[in-house]
Amino acid sequence: MLTVKKVSRTFQSGATGFENIDLQVKRGEVVGVLGTSGCGKSTLLRVLSGLDPEYEGSIQTKSENRGNAFGMMFQEPRLMPWLDVLDNVTFGFSKPSKKEAALELIETVGLKGFEHHYPKDLSGGMAQRAAIARSLLSQPDILLLDEPFSALDAFTKMQLQDLLLSIWEKHHTTTLLVTHDIDEALYLCDRIVIMRGQPGQIESELFIQRPKPRKRGDAVLGELKEQILKELDFTKR
Amino acid sequence: MSSRTEAAVSSPAVQRTKIKPAPKRKWGGALLGLVLPVLILILWETASRAGWVAPYLLPSPTAVVEEMSGMAQEGELWGHISITLYRVFAGFFAGLAAAVVLGAATGYSRIARQLLDPMLQALRAIPSLAWVPLFVLWIGIGEASKITLVAVGVFFPVYLNLTSGIQGVDRKLIEVGRIYHFTSLQQIKKVILPAALPSFIVGLRSGLSLGWMFVVAAELLGASQGLGYLMVYGQNTSAPAIVIGSILLFAVFGKITDEVLKRIQTRALKWQDNLENA
Repeated sequence: MLTVKKVSRTFQSGATGFENIDLQVKRGEVVGVLGTSGCGKSTLLRVLSGLDPEYEGSIQTKSENRGNAFGMMFQEPRLMPWLDVLDNVTFGFSKPSKKEAALELIETVGLKGFEHHYPKDLSGGMAQRAAIARSLLSQPDILLLDEPFSALDAFTKMQLQDLLLSIWEKHHTTTLLVTHDIDEALYLCDRIVIMRGQPGQIESELFIQRPKPRKRGDAVLGELKEQILKELDFTKR
Repeated sequence: MSSRTEAAVSSPAVQRTKIKPAPKRKWGGALLGLVLPVLILILWETASRAGWVAPYLLPSPTAVVEEMSGMAQEGELWGHISITLYRVFAGFFAGLAAAVVLGAATGYSRIARQLLDPMLQALRAIPSLAWVPLFVLWIGIGEASKITLVAVGVFFPVYLNLTSGIQGVDRKLIEVGRIYHFTSLQQIKKVILPAALPSFIVGLRSGLSLGWMFVVAAELLGASQGLGYLMVYGQNTSAPAIVIGSILLFAVFGKITDEVLKRIQTRALKWQDNLENA
């Protein structure tokens, strides 16, 4: 689905960013990119989504048109404050053609009844739900999630993680999830890619065979967490 | 110690009573705003009637109303009012059009900003009335020079607010547009203009109030009709009632036009997360 070959993007003459990233994502796979802050994992998503065109290397997707190869969801909802929820979800499309699909997505993310509320009247979690719906409307081949729940409280976070699981079950969306939350990555992903260093490089890869939905307190996941923490050991460089 | 505990038990340290939300006192608020003007009117009327002030300096409110309604009945007043309104609106829309074109250009394009903005900022530093002799020289004493002066007054606040509004658009929202591969035109239409709207409307309102100021200036300096001319006429014929009446008419029309813009503002910006919409 997505093949990334030797892609680098560095700032400040090579001090930050990431370099020589090789990554393959299969159709329907959920890949987590885990790393300490400053290892370039968000920059990787910006490069993939096309927001940052100044990279080296090659990025290939199997999608026919560039328009809906990538859908992106940010750390903040980034809703247009002058549009109501429905118009925000259909943002970027002509409304009549997508209205049905949008209403369905709004229901999926649990915002039915709030179609005509403005973002100022939504809570943080609700706004992020609307943002999920918006990023799914174009039916992107690959959904890029940039620490999507890091600004939410623990309970809302769990609710939205479960929401993502149910969406994947339904749509089988190929997803690249950038996060610094190990539990989140273990709970949601089929594979975890660990980045570290400055500029960041891929340190290791980890397959998680446990079937989803997983238990949050799963012992196997606990062991994997130990292992990841060791990998990320902050004392070694 | 024990007595303190008992006291704490009998009356909790934190006590909250739910208060029913107060009903909206829209009319009450409006009435409150009327109290001072009405008091002043009464005081003014008594002062004039009791002869505390000379009527050739400050005629009573009733005298002002009589004078103006006399002029209205003769039909003379409507001509003055309509020509002044015409000048304000024509100047307003002319200044607005120029400000939208130039403000959008300098706000959006760096080259246009570097090219135009320094010059416009320098022109802004010229006191408005300094233009009058030049405009009269260039375009004569007729309508065009007055409308141009009003347009100059309207132009700058609208221009400045629009440019800064566009430049202040959140980069994060523009990135959302880029995710959808928007063209520049789509980006302007769907993200930049709506996001700059609040600032633009603020510019419209201050532009309009400057427009009213400049129409008075234009009419005071050289006109044979209009409310500003009426004030000069009242001054020359020692008729303070006409001067005061004209001032009041300016106040009324200025307030009405601003109120219209304010309504538009409230309607168009009901999505804003601010105190007014709370």
